[in-house]
Amino acid sequence: MTSSAGPGLPDFQAWFQQAPCGYLIADDAGRIEAVNDTFLSWSGYSRPDLRGLRVQDLMPVGDQILYSTHCIPQLNIAGAVSELAVEIIGADRKRRAALLSAARFPASGEQRGSVGIIIFSAHERRLYEKELVSALRAAEVSESRRASAEKELHRLALHDRLTGLLNRAGLEAKLDQLLAAHDGRGRSLAALYIDLDHFKAVNDSLGHAAGDELLVAVAGRIKSAALGTSTIARLSGDEFIVVDSFQSTQAATAQAAGLLETLRTPVLLGGLEVVISASIGVAVVAEEAETIEELVRRADIALYRAKASGGNQWELHRPTEADPTADRLRTVGELRNGISDGALRVYYQPRVHLRSGAVDGVESLVRWQHPTRGLLAPSEFIGIAEDSGLVRPLGAWVLDETLRQAERWRKQDPATGELQYAVNLSARQLNDPELVRMVERALQARQMDPARLLLEITETALMTDPEAALSSLTDLKDLGVGLAVDDFGTGYSSLTYLKKFPVDELKIDRSFIAGLGLEAGDAAIVASCIDLAHAVGIRAVAEGVETPEQAEALIAMGCDLAQGYYYAQPLPAPLLKAWLDANSKDGLVAEP
Amino acid sequence: MIRRNNVTVAGRPDGPVMLFAHGFGCDQDVWRPLLPYFAQDYKLVLFDHVGAGNSDVDAYNREKYGSLDGYAADLLEICDALGLENVTVMAHSVSAMIAVIAAGQDPGPFSDLIMIAPSPRYTDDPAEGYVGGFSREDIEGLLASLDSNYFVWAASLAPMVMGNPQDPGLSDSLRDSFCRTNPSVAQHFARVTFFSDTRQELKRVRTRSLILQCTDDLLAPPEVGKYLNDNLTRSTLVHLQATGHCPHISSPADTAAAIRRHLDDRT
Repeated sequence: MTSSAGPGLPDFQAWFQQAPCGYLIADDAGRIEAVNDTFLSWSGYSRPDLRGLRVQDLMPVGDQILYSTHCIPQLNIAGAVSELAVEIIGADRKRRAALLSAARFPASGEQRGSVGIIIFSAHERRLYEKELVSALRAAEVSESRRASAEKELHRLALHDRLTGLLNRAGLEAKLDQLLAAHDGRGRSLAALYIDLDHFKAVNDSLGHAAGDELLVAVAGRIKSAALGTSTIARLSGDEFIVVDSFQSTQAATAQAAGLLETLRTPVLLGGLEVVISASIGVAVVAEEAETIEELVRRADIALYRAKASGGNQWELHRPTEADPTADRLRTVGELRNGISDGALRVYYQPRVHLRSGAVDGVESLVRWQHPTRGLLAPSEFIGIAEDSGLVRPLGAWVLDETLRQAERWRKQDPATGELQYAVNLSARQLNDPELVRMVERALQARQMDPARLLLEITETALMTDPEAALSSLTDLKDLGVGLAVDDFGTGYSSLTYLKKFPVDELKIDRSFIAGLGLEAGDAAIVASCIDLAHAVGIRAVAEGVETPEQAEALIAMGCDLAQGYYYAQPLPAPLLKAWLDANSKDGLVAEP
Repeated sequence: MIRRNNVTVAGRPDGPVMLFAHGFGCDQDVWRPLLPYFAQDYKLVLFDHVGAGNSDVDAYNREKYGSLDGYAADLLEICDALGLENVTVMAHSVSAMIAVIAAGQDPGPFSDLIMIAPSPRYTDDPAEGYVGGFSREDIEGLLASLDSNYFVWAASLAPMVMGNPQDPGLSDSLRDSFCRTNPSVAQHFARVTFFSDTRQELKRVRTRSLILQCTDDLLAPPEVGKYLNDNLTRSTLVHLQATGHCPHISSPADTAAAIRRHLDDRT
């Protein structure tokens, strides 16, 4: 650098040294050759310290990387870099924020190549920029958090939390894509609708945690047994669905059979081996235009049939099959109207003392006068009433009607005041917190002695949640009503509970009575039921007695009461009154 | 894809293919000094990594480009889309490892990997006795430095330089766009690059390779070149006189000569 000031021009040498910024001049390879006083006083270095160093050697490693990867190429190709934010480590090892601009002067002729570098101290500006950048970064982070939270929400919305499978919404979203992508090519879409048999029993007896564990295990098994291409979802509770395209209907049902097989292997739940089974409804796309909803609905219909035939099997839906789901829905509507429109009837079946033949009471049995199907027995609508919740108003109506009838008979004939009226309670009613108050009000309304009312609850209903049942029964007992265990022998009673339940009688299920004299096993069961009842100090009642031989056998076994066609079928009120009048002369029932 | 990676083709149309993959902090313009040495004989295919140069920044996806695999997939897609075969990949810096991953996954399109100043891992790994040259703190320093330069990177779209009277050959457009990088992308790419570890991928590579080791390269110390040569099956290690990290820029003639010698050797 030589002073080349002309006359009247400033001294460039002095100007270079005293300029308001640092100047460095380097050779083409970046090695420092000259430096001005401003830079020396700012950085604290002396000239010999810097000779032979490269400007990037004065920077921290991070800046060196940036300088090597970005600035050197840019200097070489574009010829200049401007306002690069760097730090210069001073002689005191302290970092100084700076802005660096540089221009490269390539070799030409005699002139060697060189690089001119200007360094501004940029302490304030760098602080300000740092604040701006950190604010920007914070905004980016919160934006990416928001985005990932949104993504997670979306995932959650489409997946079942417990098993990680798709949920119903996820299935619909996935199936829309699937249907759109489905090209036919000789394969057909099929839906396999899976429902565990008796899942509720597992949930009730082992607890919800074990039930959840079971569902997770089942989800895992379905996943491992299904094809890799399958779409698997958990629709609700213990309902799963597998959708895939299959070569043939046989391939789809073979998959269903394979799934059933896999699910049959016992599951370990908290050290307990639990044996499960499932039912599967299979539907294969029947026509081009069929929607996924339609396909799933048909699989559900087939599932319903598999369940109805006892479970642990698959059923294939045939497109011509009638639709029990629609039937059920229609029936629920009709039943609701039936209850309010007075289409229900109560029939009464007498119960007699086996030894004496004396009438003990009657059991109220509901009938439904259906507008088109005629008089329906409870078996045709009680299930629907239970599922739909209609059983509560229905049960309340039956109780009230029975007590109303009892009141009327008592007024007509005080002798009937001795009769006991048995009314059935469903599982759903038993769980109804309003039950006790409802019964109490009904008794008061008809001024009925509570002891004349006998409430019958099936063994199965009692054992689904024995603790809750015990509490309901105790409350009912406190009203003074009689209690009976209905259909005894079909459930899995725990003797402990049977002893605790404040019941007055066991009603032995008709299926065992039917086997009396035919099946040695049935006779043994009936005998033990009677012994059991007597052992806990309550009456034994036989249902469905149809022949004199059965009556004989029951008398021989010491059974207390009986009802059945052998004595009388369920009768409408006027006929029952006539039957009573004809058969209870002197309190004795004539031999039929 | 051509637009995504701003693919440009030059050189001899029927010549063997040379595919240029730029490194961190640059774009395809960085190859400018080297191209004249190969344009006569080779078909030259250049591109920008997504996020750099004139690539489609909208295609930048943090998940895909969260590892070098995303860039390797792009490299293979470019070969596939242009139907490139017997490709000599010219890969600078981190792109050398992107090429290693690509060739490990699908050696099909590649005949040679020319790795300029490569490193399979920039940070030291004392447990394995591996020297990469940097500590984690060094790299954190780089990331901080990139943050400091946020406005510079953004502003390089319209640089404040007043021109360079001695170098009138450069077009303004080049100066305007050189190494243009979205600052947030640069930050992410730096993180992915400088914390990458491609050592496990090396043994999958069966393609012939040339390692060009520079003198005094901050980013790739001599130990790194040796490590690569020891761990690649068909590699040649050549030391260049050129200093720094960008020999193709600072010493294009020597660099081109070394590459030519290597390529001409294949018989």
